[in-house]
Amino acid sequence: MLEKLTGPHEKFWEIFSKQDIKKIDEFQTYMDKFAVNFNLYKDGNFIERSLPFDVVPRIISKKEFAKIDKGLQQRVTALNMFLEDLYTDAKIIKEGIVPEEFVHQAKGYLEEFKGFSPSKKIRTHINGIDLVKDTVNDEWVILEDNLRVPSGSSYPLSIRDTYRKIYPDFFESMKIEPIKQYPKYISDAMNYVNCGGINVVLTPGRFNSAYYEHSYLAEKIGAELVRANELTVVDKKLYFKNYNGKLIRVGAVYRRLDDDFLDPAFFNPESLIGVPGIVEAYLSGNVAIMNGIGNGVADDKGIYYFVPKMIQYYLGEDPILQNAPTYLPYFKEDMEYVFNNMEKLVIKDVAEAGGYGVLFGHTMTALQIEDLKLIIKADPRRFIAQELIEFYDEKCYINGELVDRKADFRAYVVMGEDVKVWNCGLTRYALEAGNYLVNSSQGGGFKDTWITE
Amino acid sequence: MEQLLTANVATNLYWLGRHLERVETTLMKVIEAYDKIIDVDKDAGVLLYKNFNIDLKYGNSLDFLKEAILGEHSANLLNIMINARENAIICRSQIDTDAFGEIIELHALFDNASKKSAPVDYRLVDTALSLIREIWGSLSKSEHRKNSDNFSRLGKLVEEVDFHLRFENDKDIIAMVVHDINEIFDVLSKKDESKGAQSQKQNYETHDVMETINKKISEIIVG
Repeated sequence: MLEKLTGPHEKFWEIFSKQDIKKIDEFQTYMDKFAVNFNLYKDGNFIERSLPFDVVPRIISKKEFAKIDKGLQQRVTALNMFLEDLYTDAKIIKEGIVPEEFVHQAKGYLEEFKGFSPSKKIRTHINGIDLVKDTVNDEWVILEDNLRVPSGSSYPLSIRDTYRKIYPDFFESMKIEPIKQYPKYISDAMNYVNCGGINVVLTPGRFNSAYYEHSYLAEKIGAELVRANELTVVDKKLYFKNYNGKLIRVGAVYRRLDDDFLDPAFFNPESLIGVPGIVEAYLSGNVAIMNGIGNGVADDKGIYYFVPKMIQYYLGEDPILQNAPTYLPYFKEDMEYVFNNMEKLVIKDVAEAGGYGVLFGHTMTALQIEDLKLIIKADPRRFIAQELIEFYDEKCYINGELVDRKADFRAYVVMGEDVKVWNCGLTRYALEAGNYLVNSSQGGGFKDTWITE
Repeated sequence: MEQLLTANVATNLYWLGRHLERVETTLMKVIEAYDKIIDVDKDAGVLLYKNFNIDLKYGNSLDFLKEAILGEHSANLLNIMINARENAIICRSQIDTDAFGEIIELHALFDNASKKSAPVDYRLVDTALSLIREIWGSLSKSEHRKNSDNFSRLGKLVEEVDFHLRFENDKDIIAMVVHDINEIFDVLSKKDESKGAQSQKQNYETHDVMETINKKISEIIVG
């Protein structure tokens, strides 16, 4: 189902009808030439490939986006307060808003960091919040909070310049909001929490699926792109190893790897992509790490259920943006509901991400459902169930045809001195009709997102 | 403040310069030999590739182009461009965006030819040479030379010396290029405050010139 056409949509199609369709190929030429890639590993092989791009943008009116902006500022502020509280006084647990065992069983919760407060008390620096627009209520709904290492912002940033060059008519006529300020949001946030020294982007390396993004963002935010062996810790301070052997102090790290791999001396000793001692430097207050270590607890799919309660608890406000209706089999009455309605629910494994561990009840056989019930019963904390949200399709121009595809929207929220919501984002669409999984790692493509008058 | 650059990026910039220069000079020699093979000297290609210690076999002039550029030997230009592309990807935040795109394009040109989706003929060589000149232009268009530019330029000059040693072995030309290399060493050493001293200008003897240069580079890039 498509969203009702508004003035900007009509304007888009009017201009689109007058464009030279053959020029669409130039987008692919650009992406190939500048290696705008999201790489994949298939059967153990590294495959370099560009992320599929669709020329038809998602269009959101300024008025509609204003609500998203406000709602996301509210949500990320509350999530940051939750993390800070959880790792210090834990009032939210003491007051029974979030069950203690629920937090402690979250995979991303790191008891070792209890009592530590990071630079400027900011933990959720760069966040990707996934939303869809529900066809029933015609409202934006939050599907997921990504507070660890959300990726994807570089793709719309890269393609926008090309879009302007190939099809300037849209930009001349449609009052589309400019988006170039995003790297500055990140560099401002880095400078704000910086503990003295340069800013760096820490990448796992050339063969990471998002290496293009790491390299692109490092250049745009004016930070050095480094691998683990190009950093060293001396006296609990982090240093950049310059080519000539000189050590330069690092004040803030935008890390593009998960907690588990960050420091082999602290987490996984097998990690070859982490910096030994970086956690000690962080805990000594000598370096800011963004996003904060231990954030995984707040973007746990089980904790997601409690975010509206966090907003009320910390801010005394009603949530501006709603969650998808979610059930926790952990609670007896929810388990009963889930078991009685499996066919119409989406079951998610809380430990998985990137579209993995998602099961659609309506596609499962009776036997599979019974098996799943047994697994849920054995470990109810591991799963959540959500009503299947019927979200709008987006028009996509695929193989010379206009078709409808499911699409979500990842909004980026940056927290520094202020909380800023980027007036663009990553619209991801499924390549096949009827598929609800739009993740890049599941082969989904992306569109530009235009915020217009 | 001195430019920040990891040893990995500095090394890749240096090799980017070397690989691109290697492709360019090889193509220039190949096109010279191609012209001779047509109607002057059928063995011009054989003689040329002896300098690379390669026993090249071909039927006619077009076959020579194909064998020279994509044949199974150590001077295969697609392989050199695969390396150059890797160098560029690793140090892309330090090089001009257009230069980066042109390097990817140059690699794709040889890659397509190897997959037979483009013919291997003089046009391929002309297009490749034009692209390389564009790359050098894009790489050097920044207003102020940075250390990163010096590393790719150093690679280009070192490869030039290597080529002269293999082919003409003209001592005067080698001395001129070595002079330029020394100037870059000076700049890089001056900026290296931790060492606090300028490099000594050296007049390398032809027989040990590459060894001396490599030693100097390993002093500048501390791995």
